[in-house]
Amino acid sequence: MSKKNSLISPLKNEDIARLRIGDVVNLTGIIYTARDMAHIRIMEHLREGKQLVENFRGAAIFHAGPVVRKKNEEWEIVVIGPTTSMRMEPFSENLLGRIGVKAIIGKGGMGKKTQRALTKYCGVYLLSPPGCAVVQSKSVQRVLRVNWLDLGVPEAIWVLEVKDWGPLIVAMDSHGNSIFKEVSEKALARIPKILDIK
Amino acid sequence: MKKIDEKILLETALEVVKNSCTGIAPDAMELLKRAHLKEKNKAAKKLLETMIINAELADNMNKPVCQSPGYPVVYAKLGGDLKLEANIQKVFQKAIIELTKKNYIRPSMVHPITRRNPGDNSGVGVPDVEVELAPDSEHTDFIISFKGCGAELANVQRVLTPAQVGKEGIGIKKLVLESVVKAGGIPCPPVAVGIGIGGQIHYASRLSRKAVSVREWTDTNPDQELAMLEQELLPAINSLGIGPAGIGGDTTALTVKVEMVSTHTAICPVAINFHCWTARRSGARIYSDGSVKHLFKRK
Repeated sequence: MSKKNSLISPLKNEDIARLRIGDVVNLTGIIYTARDMAHIRIMEHLREGKQLVENFRGAAIFHAGPVVRKKNEEWEIVVIGPTTSMRMEPFSENLLGRIGVKAIIGKGGMGKKTQRALTKYCGVYLLSPPGCAVVQSKSVQRVLRVNWLDLGVPEAIWVLEVKDWGPLIVAMDSHGNSIFKEVSEKALARIPKILDIK
Repeated sequence: MKKIDEKILLETALEVVKNSCTGIAPDAMELLKRAHLKEKNKAAKKLLETMIINAELADNMNKPVCQSPGYPVVYAKLGGDLKLEANIQKVFQKAIIELTKKNYIRPSMVHPITRRNPGDNSGVGVPDVEVELAPDSEHTDFIISFKGCGAELANVQRVLTPAQVGKEGIGIKKLVLESVVKAGGIPCPPVAVGIGIGGQIHYASRLSRKAVSVREWTDTNPDQELAMLEQELLPAINSLGIGPAGIGGDTTALTVKVEMVSTHTAICPVAINFHCWTARRSGARIYSDGSVKHLFKRK
């Protein structure tokens, strides 16, 4: 893979701005898993002015909950893959605008609120191949730590070091483009023809 | 008369639960490979290839094919000259807990309101068990299906009026196509689309889940009318161009499965149940002599 398509976290605006939908990239560095409950707790912390457990400036957030095991007191990822991103749609504005997240990685795509936040704060949404947990876990080098394990294994924030993690597809870019929006609009327009409705 | 006691059922449950989580059913793999050959969109082809590799790796490495086990349902069809002396739900839950401890299944079952996770997939009413009595059958079948919950988020239920059904069920077809577009990449396409029609909505809903959970995805509906509807809907859905993971392409659905029961003259309940590409389905058939045959076995 060319250097242009290799991202290193923490991410900078210039890394993000050059990406366009359809680009295939990989990522090296630290990623943070976060699903519904972690997002809800982050929002509570922001509302109450409490210090967050991690510094998310330039961070890549992965919508995922791994299968893990403990070996000699160390956590190990058995497998990991993406969960449905749309559930986290309400949080994008705060995630990008207030705590500085740069890349959201997941599956299924996100909506208008996220698109606006990606454009406003220069962020990107990357699609990770859904259901491909064995393939993706190969890129995980190690588990650095886990936060908020009281939320349960899937919902905790797992801090992972990844190397050449990919393929990740740029599905929503910082220039207002979304693969999902394009695909959906075309599909909707096709229905009358398919059903032969005038 | 041979007995199916707790010991026999637990042995069977452990085997089928593990088998279902560590790969995809061979019929789904066959459809995935066919789709990969035909797919013209380059990125979509790459995704399909990654899916095939992932499922094969999971099988070879004895690892969960997807990090999320989804939600389990056991379909039991009780027949043959056999006496069931075990609680199906208790035994399957025991197997699921056991395999969770061995890291084949992520602890994913939580209290629906408090969201508390007991950490071992124990939980109220887990797994769901649907029992069918089949006195004429020569065997008893247990099929377990773990279905992902992105797919679940895309499900649709609607009670149509006769006018909304329209000529030749065009209203139903329109609802299916619109639901597939609305679902987009959320249910992890390429999907299997289960459609339950008739009864009242709870009945249609049960049928829609069962349709994509117990049938081989390569089979043909024995009801000719429904077979025709399935054959019409599959290419229609694929011509929408949603594609694998929702990024565009020729492969949106691998199969469409329709089940129908009669309904009241005032209504037409329609339930649409999406299944992601990871067909985690396995089963066991127990004959009257006590012999066991595994269903949907990969090797």
